Amino acid sequence: MSQRVKIVNLLPELLGTYGDQGNVVTLSWRLSKRGIDNEVINASAFEKLPADGDFYFLGGGEDDAQVAAVELLRNSGVLKNAVENGAQVFAVCAGFQLLGESFPASGGRVINGLGLLPIVTEPANPRSVGELLADSTIGIGKLTGFENHSGQTRFTDKLQPLGTLIKGVGNHAREACDGVVTEQIIATYMHGPALVRNPKLADYFLSRKLGDLEPIDDQVFTELHSACVARGAK
Amino acid sequence: MYLKIVLLKARALGALSRILRQGNGVMVAGRFILKFAPNAVEKLAENKRVVLISGTNGKSTTAKLIAEALGTKYSIAHNKTGANLFAGVAQALGANPNAEVAVLEVDELVLPWAIEKTRPELIVLLNLGRDQLDRLSEVRIVSSKWRNALTAKDKVLASTDDPFVVHAASAAGKKIWFSAQDKGHIDAATCPSCGALLNWQDDGANYSCSCGFKKPDANWNLIGEVLNGQFKVNSSIPGRAAMQNAARAFIVANEFGIDLESANQAIGSVKDVDGRFAKKRIGQTEFRLLLSKNPASWRETLETSAKGPKDVLLVINANTQDGKDTSWLWDVDFKPLKGRNVIVSGDRRIDVSARLTVDGISHKVVASEVEAAANFGAVEADLIASYTAFHRLANK
Repeated sequence: MSQRVKIVNLLPELLGTYGDQGNVVTLSWRLSKRGIDNEVINASAFEKLPADGDFYFLGGGEDDAQVAAVELLRNSGVLKNAVENGAQVFAVCAGFQLLGESFPASGGRVINGLGLLPIVTEPANPRSVGELLADSTIGIGKLTGFENHSGQTRFTDKLQPLGTLIKGVGNHAREACDGVVTEQIIATYMHGPALVRNPKLADYFLSRKLGDLEPIDDQVFTELHSACVARGAK
Repeated sequence: MYLKIVLLKARALGALSRILRQGNGVMVAGRFILKFAPNAVEKLAENKRVVLISGTNGKSTTAKLIAEALGTKYSIAHNKTGANLFAGVAQALGANPNAEVAVLEVDELVLPWAIEKTRPELIVLLNLGRDQLDRLSEVRIVSSKWRNALTAKDKVLASTDDPFVVHAASAAGKKIWFSAQDKGHIDAATCPSCGALLNWQDDGANYSCSCGFKKPDANWNLIGEVLNGQFKVNSSIPGRAAMQNAARAFIVANEFGIDLESANQAIGSVKDVDGRFAKKRIGQTEFRLLLSKNPASWRETLETSAKGPKDVLLVINANTQDGKDTSWLWDVDFKPLKGRNVIVSGDRRIDVSARLTVDGISHKVVASEVEAAANFGAVEADLIASYTAFHRLANK
């Protein structure tokens, strides 16, 4: 690909509470390591959200911020347009929830999501907090993350989860899986950040748009992955 | 009478714990008091003028500075070891039952309890930012808990620069507003009051919302080292945050009718707080200990440390008190470390190494601070540590 790869970090001031920005800078680092020209666009709430990106990222956020974010995304139509343009989307936690049909907010409210995934998120108690460990369903071995969410998510139609659960709560206390994979969306409850702790997942995500990628020296990330998997398995 | 016996026994228990080297005795004594005299905190606070201090960052430093300033005139009870949960508060009051004034730093989630039990004369609300999200969950939830705990009877000294503090403090009957001209807030993109997008203006110096929520006018403005264009504040602790905390101590001294010159002198006499900025020699290396706990305090510490020695060691763990999720590393810009001689250690050194790699900071990874010292040799170096690593090093 000769053109500059565009990674759009959507609404980081609203969906950037749990260090998830690390996913975006890590994607950029992995592309730069391969000599692939790329840029990260931090698309703020007060600017026009670009629909011509190659990769879109949605992070975790607090209740009110999530509601504000879904309104901005709905009104701009940015994700719908981007997906129609062939973009790939990676979403974490609150970003995952708002892609669905509905999710809960403070004061018992139920908020309509963007409807890009057939999922609903419902309030749950207690909050799911701790290490998450899963077997990936996409042939890249173990997945590791740190989950921290109050809502629980179930599929309303047939969907492929991103991982089957070894440890943690994941999507739902009764479902034993985490996240979802569709043709253009990967979503998960894993913070950590997910694409830092799981270098193979980062490359899997990138290759969905860019095709096969050359290997890089990312030893510190593979070491981190092994350490996190070992800790998560305890 | 019964309370006196409980306090005596608690003190003996604390002393025993120190003799047996089980700890500093604070928690064991405090827990004993709470167990055998559940109303001890109310009773002990009755005859005292109480100042509570809470917030994400700066609790220990501010409390220490206030205790020093008020100590120029009054006898003080103070939880100086930083034990700021229920037992720590009980122990501090019990250890000095006849003190005239109690200066108590309180954990953010313990503040509502402390307000109810101690009926404070003044509550100092510092700041609220993301911290230990696995334990404290959301910043705005903490802000709302504070707001619900404050009533018309309460008087607060609160920062206008922080929308979460303003939201909480507005529920108090009397507000002393303080501004250090800080700009923006990483967690406050939405209004703490109504949840709509908060409108930040003037490059982050002001904020307002369509619901009416806005930055209040400050009664006290700190610009550089000068309060209200009139009082030059003494601070011997490095950094901008420490200067702000010294200014708060000065304002509290003013509220308590203390001679301001003596208060300022007392504030300036504090050089380190509970090991922060203290020196520690390991091998040939003379380390300066710096504590960093969350993105806001890391930003502050990296800024302060950048003016220090070229050699710097980061020691980061992820135990309960550090926060078990290291994701926060990615909310900190480590680029201020560029060009310095950086070594990384601690339980989560690989997490840190990955972070620095992406920020393009060359660094070495070692297993311990002893190994780091062997690398540095006979130089001065900064040692920036997360909570549990810091306390292990400061107390050793």
